[in-house]
Formats: sequence, structure tokens, C-alpha cells
Amino acid sequence: MKPAPPNVALRFLRWFCREDYLEEVEGDLVEVYESHYQKSPAKAKRKFIWTVLKYFRPEFIKAFNIGQNSTTMIQHNTKIAYRNSLKYKNTFFINLLGLATGLACALLIFLWVQDERSIDKFHENDDRLFQIMQTFDLGHTKETVDWNPMPLSDALKNQMPGVEYVTAAYPPSNYAYPGKIKLEDRKVKVRAKYVEKDFFNAFTYRLLAGDKSTLLSDKYACAVSEDLATELYGSVDEALGKAFSYELGKYSGEFTISGVFENMPSNASIQFNLAFNYDLYTSFNPDIMRWDYNSPCVYVTLTEGTDTDAFENKITGLLKKNFPETEGNLFLRQYSSQYLYGNVEDGKQTGGRISYVILFSMIAVFLLVIACINFMNLATARASRRTKEIGVKKSIGAKRSDLIIQYLFEAVITSFLSMSLALLIVYLIMPQFNLITGKQLALVLSAEMILSLIGIAFFTGLLAGSYPALYLSGLSPIKIFKGGPIKSVSAFIIRKGLVIFQFTISLMLILMVFTVARQVEFIKTKNLGFDRDNVIFFNESIPNYTTFKNHLETLTGVVSVSAIRGDLTSGDRNNTTSLEWEGKQEGDIVDFDDVLVDPDFFSAVNIQILEGRGFSDDMISEENSLIFNQTAIEQMGLEEPIGKIIDMWGKNWTIVGVVKDFHLESLYKEVRPAFFRAGTNPGNAVVKIENGKTIEAVQAIEAYYKEQNDGLAPDYQFLDDTYDRLYAAEQRVSTLSKYFAGVAIIISCLGLFGLAAFTAEIRLKEIGIRKILGSANSQIVVLLSKDYTKMVLVANLIGLPLGYYLIHQWLSSFAFKIDLSIWFFVAAAVLTVFIALLTVGFQTLKAARVHVLETLRE
Amino acid sequence: MKAPSLGEFEELVLLMVAALHDEAYGVSILESLKSKLSKKINISAIHVALKRMEEKGFVKSRFGGITADRGGRRKKFYVITAFGKQALDQQYSIRTDLYQQIPKISFN
Repeated sequence: MKPAPPNVALRFLRWFCREDYLEEVEGDLVEVYESHYQKSPAKAKRKFIWTVLKYFRPEFIKAFNIGQNSTTMIQHNTKIAYRNSLKYKNTFFINLLGLATGLACALLIFLWVQDERSIDKFHENDDRLFQIMQTFDLGHTKETVDWNPMPLSDALKNQMPGVEYVTAAYPPSNYAYPGKIKLEDRKVKVRAKYVEKDFFNAFTYRLLAGDKSTLLSDKYACAVSEDLATELYGSVDEALGKAFSYELGKYSGEFTISGVFENMPSNASIQFNLAFNYDLYTSFNPDIMRWDYNSPCVYVTLTEGTDTDAFENKITGLLKKNFPETEGNLFLRQYSSQYLYGNVEDGKQTGGRISYVILFSMIAVFLLVIACINFMNLATARASRRTKEIGVKKSIGAKRSDLIIQYLFEAVITSFLSMSLALLIVYLIMPQFNLITGKQLALVLSAEMILSLIGIAFFTGLLAGSYPALYLSGLSPIKIFKGGPIKSVSAFIIRKGLVIFQFTISLMLILMVFTVARQVEFIKTKNLGFDRDNVIFFNESIPNYTTFKNHLETLTGVVSVSAIRGDLTSGDRNNTTSLEWEGKQEGDIVDFDDVLVDPDFFSAVNIQILEGRGFSDDMISEENSLIFNQTAIEQMGLEEPIGKIIDMWGKNWTIVGVVKDFHLESLYKEVRPAFFRAGTNPGNAVVKIENGKTIEAVQAIEAYYKEQNDGLAPDYQFLDDTYDRLYAAEQRVSTLSKYFAGVAIIISCLGLFGLAAFTAEIRLKEIGIRKILGSANSQIVVLLSKDYTKMVLVANLIGLPLGYYLIHQWLSSFAFKIDLSIWFFVAAAVLTVFIALLTVGFQTLKAARVHVLETLRE
Repeated sequence: MKAPSLGEFEELVLLMVAALHDEAYGVSILESLKSKLSKKINISAIHVALKRMEEKGFVKSRFGGITADRGGRRKKFYVITAFGKQALDQQYSIRTDLYQQIPKISFN
């Protein structure tokens, strides 16, 4: 018995190989196989299969007869599609334009969503990289912060199994310290963060120079980004081992570069270009190395297979062991989830930007569906025009499946044409879109992208073509040839339903645009409790603050100079719960913001003092004075706060004043309880400028700053700009939703336009007869518009409550929000009806004005 | 028309076809080439070369008789054509000519 070669391979060969070659090839292959088989059967089989695969090349593949009939049918279908598009140009362009706009919007949103989802996702151990979060149980509410006790990272390193890397980072959250590097006669601005050396293991930024084992090994060792290294020393390799001096209060010093890391990509939420040793930060603040002092962020990479729930329990246990009185509970948050799921409520991650991602994804799908509906409606409405074609085809033996394929094919062709047009649109408006979204998106035609595009176009085509294909192919040839109108109640109802659906969505989008725009406007103009017009705010703490202040106050146009620790708008500040006051109950915990300010901060930015007084300039007498905000006093439950003694950090403090609440962070949040301490150099300067003298004042300040800082430009911003940026996300959603709602309306109207034109056309004779019998143009317009008006009204009936529910949901994420007024809904409803009527009215009027003779002449 | 070219591997196969005269078919060419060149060759390479050369007119082929071997499939025998021989001669003369132009070089 001869050994048989692998059957599958042989059958494959017989399937594809040219018949005139097959016998020779097969024979030779078998002969070779047989001789190999004697040596090693397994190897012979492998070799045989491999060799068969090698024949799979054009020279040996037979001319497949891909069904001559189907090629003919494709040609035929293409021809019919082409002729139809020529014959009914209106319909064709409405379809093409609608689909192209829908696809273009969907593509833009797709790119945007892809970018949003990529943020922070690029670290190698993304699934194991966590950030430790702390939730304080404050009785009436829970508060979650991303800062942790100072000794936590060391404790994790030494006492906790299941941890691969731990790194503490300061300042917390995504902040970095602005500062300056002095190098010979140059100064370069940097953004610095204090990190432990495992930072570069947990966050996998490659080291371009230097060694991971010696990175940040010395207190004055640092690491710089590729760009900074190049800016300072010309190249990455040059930079290694070099020293520069850095100024930031007590952290100043001579630093040696122990490593260069690759630049952080734009989709990383933590951005800095200079990494200092965390030990430097702790060694300068030995008094805060306590479990009750929360400051740094702590990031951990867990070893594979570590149970996160168990780990959370263990670290909370660790915290409670070292600080039994704490109300804090630690939990883990996957680092990369902070961008999209940044909001925490009641100690649980709830949502955040993901809601925008979902919102826009939904808009994308809706826009596509609206465009597809146009296609369906026009195709089914015009069925009567193609009934003869269908009847003839069916009579001479076309199967229903042939017709379905034909109509799907037409839809897919239109969809692919639209996709090409959409790509052109996307390409053209990409710069504008980037401007609005603040991203650097680009349409990169990678293999993956092209596949997605083809997939989307194909899917859209199938969706748009599905209903017409099923409907048209189902028409009976007998009915068609008997003559008389093709009346299909179901098609009529579905068509109406689809139009209603389109307008419901458009209405909801319009409602959303109104609300978002109003809410954004509301936030931007809301009284924050302090002046923000004509106020400039320095992003750095000013060296020699007193001299700076004294000089600036002499400049024309400068009204006042003051300072506050930390950023005015970010909410990034120290906080503490270790306050004891008269009448404090067991279990009363208030988490206060601890804000260091210049003594005249309140008067400088017009914050109202409700009770007591502000700080005096005499720093010595104010050393133990505290000023609280309203919220703090309310939460402490003090009746007559002035003069009361507060026990904090082992010292007695006196309450000297109460100020009106003002916002120090986003309006998503309520005002937090806060107390203020006076300091001579509290940090970032805040300068109020006289109205109308902005330019000269700013120029004078800049000039003075440059003089003092070796020609370096100051890093400041106008406070109102900063606020605008704080709500950039809302502003973007507002702008984008305007455009998308506009597009939705346009596409819907396109469809309506097409339908109205069609109805007018088939009722042309009716119109003629009515006119002869004395109907006025206006009556005819009413007659023709009635149906569409009804549809749009029904859409309003559905869309208004649905829209109310949705915007109510959206607004509930704001602590301060607009009241929903009935006028929004009225305006949105009137607007949709008006636009729809305008569209239909234009068509019907045209129809009504046609000359009677023309309509009736055959 | 440009004269069809003769690739390096094709030339080897063509030489083999000529050498094995009337006994040249896929496997015999494969075996002889393998032993001469002492390197691994896949049968598919031989077939590709043969088909190309047949198209160019360097070889022609005929089927052998049916035997019980090879699962009953016929062998396809190849013989060199006059045109093929001419191509080989040309190739040979170019090479010899060039070879003779090499000056006496001593490698030490």
C-alpha cells in the first residue's frame, strides 16, 4: 500500500491548479512525497502541504469561472444604478449629500472618540497600573481625593505583597511645578514633578540615556525629557551627567541629570519634562512625614494575578493600623480610567468624560441613521417608478433574492460614493474640527482605518438598502401589470414612522444645543464671589515677592497686588481634617481646604468679609489668625465664630473673620469649607488691573518681571481666560453639538424635501383638477403640507418629553445650573416645525403654482 | 521583439533538461540538480522554471505513458528546443569569452 498524501492539501491543489498543469504537478508531488515518506512520514506530510501552498501563485491558479452570470448581473446592476441616478438626479443628490454629510460627521466623531479612548492607555502594564485613592467618610457625605498619606508609598514598598512598583508623585493629580532652570546665562522654563525612581517602571516611558538602576539615586539627581535635554544641551547624550541650577524656594539647588526619558505623548494626562527625586521633597518637609498628612499621589503596579479587592482591604488596614483615627478608606482606580471615568461619587467611580464619548457616539449613529432613513424613504416612495422594471424582471424569472441583491447593490454603491465624498469633507474641515476640539486629529489611512472605512460604508449601504430591497422585491408582478396604484399601507406607515423618528432626533439635538449653550454661558458669567475681570494670575510663585509687590503697586494701571498658594482655579490645594473647635461632636469631621494668602488678598480681589476683619499687614500678630469661609462656619456649627479658638496641628489659632463663599474650583463642585492663613510669600501672585489700562499695565509688569528674571517672560494668564478654559470641555460640547444638530436638521430636511417633491409630483394631476375647480394656491399648499405637519407635530410630542429627560440628566452633573424654562421647549418645537414647513412649503408652493394646462396635458 | 531572457536558475534547469535528454521530468531534474548543487530545492521552483521556459520556447513537453507509479499520473517529459539550445550556447559563449579576458591573477 502506497502512502497517501494529506488529503486536504491534495484537494486544495486540485481545486485551484490549472487543469493542464495539474496531472504533472500532482504526479511529481506524489513521487517526491513517496520518497520523503520513507525517511520521515511526518516531515513528508509537512513538506507536501508546504509545497502545495507554494503553487498557490498566479501562474498555477486556474482561471476561475466566477459565475459568468454574476459578472453580467453586476454589470447590469451597475448600469441600471447609473441610469437611475441620471434619470432622477434630485433623489440621487439628496441621497448622496445626506449620506456623505452623515458619514463625514460620523467619521469625525469616530476619530475623536478613538483619540479620547487612547488617552493614558499606552503604558505597558496598563491593566495593572493603579492609582491609590482615598475616600473620607464625612458623615453626611463622602469625599474622594487622589492624595494619600506621606508614608504610604514606603509602607507599600516594604510591607505589602503583590506590589511590583510603587511610586509617589508630588504635586498630586496631573499638576507639575512650573520653574526655571539656570544654565550659564540662559534660563529655561520647566514643569517639574517629584517622583520616585520606579515612576519610570510603572509608567513605561523609555529611558533614552542613563540607567534605570542609577536613575534618581541621589537626592539631587534628576531626569529630563528628550525635548528639554535637547533644548539645554543640544542632544540627549550630551545631557547625561550634566548639572544645572534650579530655583524653587527651598528646593533650589544644583541638580545632575541622571537620565533622559522620552517625551510624554499628547495623550498622556500627566505632563512634565523634569523629574526630581521624591526624597528631596520629603527631606525638606520632615514634619509632614505623618500618616495624618495627605499630600502625594501614589501609583502602584500590582504583580500579575493580585486580587484588587483584597489589596484594597489590605492597604486600608495598613492605613488604619498607622492612623487609627482616620476616616479615610483607600481604594484602587485603574490609572488609565481616570481620564474617561474621572468623577467619583460616594467613593465609587461614576463617570466623567465618558458621558461625552457616549453622547457623541450616539450622535454619530443617529446622524447615520437619519441619512439612511432618507435613502429608505425616497427609495420606497419612488417604488411606483420602478414597478415595471420589477414586474418584467420577475416575469422573466428573476428570483426575489436577485432583486434584493440588486437594490442592496445600488445602496452600497451610493454609500461608497458618499464615503469618498465624506472623506473629502473630513479632509477639508479637519483643521476647523481640531480647533474646536483642541486635539491634533488626522485622518491617517492606515490599513486598519481603510478597513474600518470600508466596513462603515458597507454597513451603511446595507442599512440604507435593507428596507427598500425587501419592500421592492416583494411586490407582486400581477398587481404591477394590472395597473393601478401600488398601495402599501405598511410602507406608508413605516415611511411616516421614519420621518417622525428623524424629526424626534433632530428636535432632541436642538433642545440639547439650547441647554448646553445656556448652561455654558451661565457658568462663564456666574458670580464667583470675587473679581475675575482684569485680574492676572501668575502660574508660579514669585521670588522676592515683597519687592515685586511693592514695585508693581507703583505702576500705573495696577490696582492691587496679592497672592495665594496654589492655582486659583484648579482646586489643587492642601487640606486637613485635624481641626478641633468648641462644641465639636465626636464624629464631626470636616475636611477643610488650607489656603495660604497674602494678608490683603480679600480686599485685592473684592471678597466680601461678612464678620470680623481681614488680615492686617502685621505678620507677627497674624501668625495664629484664621479666617474661614461661610461654608466652613456652617459645617462647624459655630454660632459666633469671631474670637473662637481652634486647635490645629498642636497649636491654638483664633478665628478673626468670616468671608463670603467664593469658588476656587470648577462649578461642578459645591464650595468647599476652607480656612485662610496669612503668609508673607504665599505663592502665586494675583494682580488686579484698572479697567481700560490693561495693555500698559501688563507691559509694565512684563518689563519689570523680565528685568528681575534675566529676561525670562512671566508665565501668567488672565483669570477670565482661565475660567473659560476650565469649562473648555463644555464649551466644546456646546460648539460641536451646535454643528451636529445643524447637520441632523439639514439631513432630515433633505429627506423631507425629497419626499415633498415626490408627493407633489405624483399628485400633479390632482392639483391641476383642483385648480380648475377653483382651488386657491394657498389651499393646495395646505393640502400638500398637512401630512408632513402632522408628522413633525407627532415628532414634537415624542421628542419633547424625551429631550426633557435627557437634558435633565445632563444638567444634574452640575452643582450650579440653569433652571429649565418652558421656553426652551417651545422654541425648539417652533423651530423644528418652522424648518420642516419651510422645506415642505417651498416644494408644495412650487407645485401649486404650476400651470394647470401643463399638469393635465398628457 | 526582445529576446526572452534566461534567469540563472532557469539556465540550470535548462542545462539539466538538455543533459537528461528525453528523461527529463520534474522529479528527475530535481534529483539531479540537488545532487549537483548539493542544496535544497523545492519541486515547485522547478515547475515554475519549466513553465516559464516552455512559454518562452526554450523547452517543449510531452506526456509519458500511464504507469502504476505516482498514483497513476503521467510524467511530463521535457526536451530542449533548438531555440533553447541557442540560448544556452549564447550564454556559454558570453561567459567563456568573459572568462578568458580575466588576466592571470595570482592570489597569495
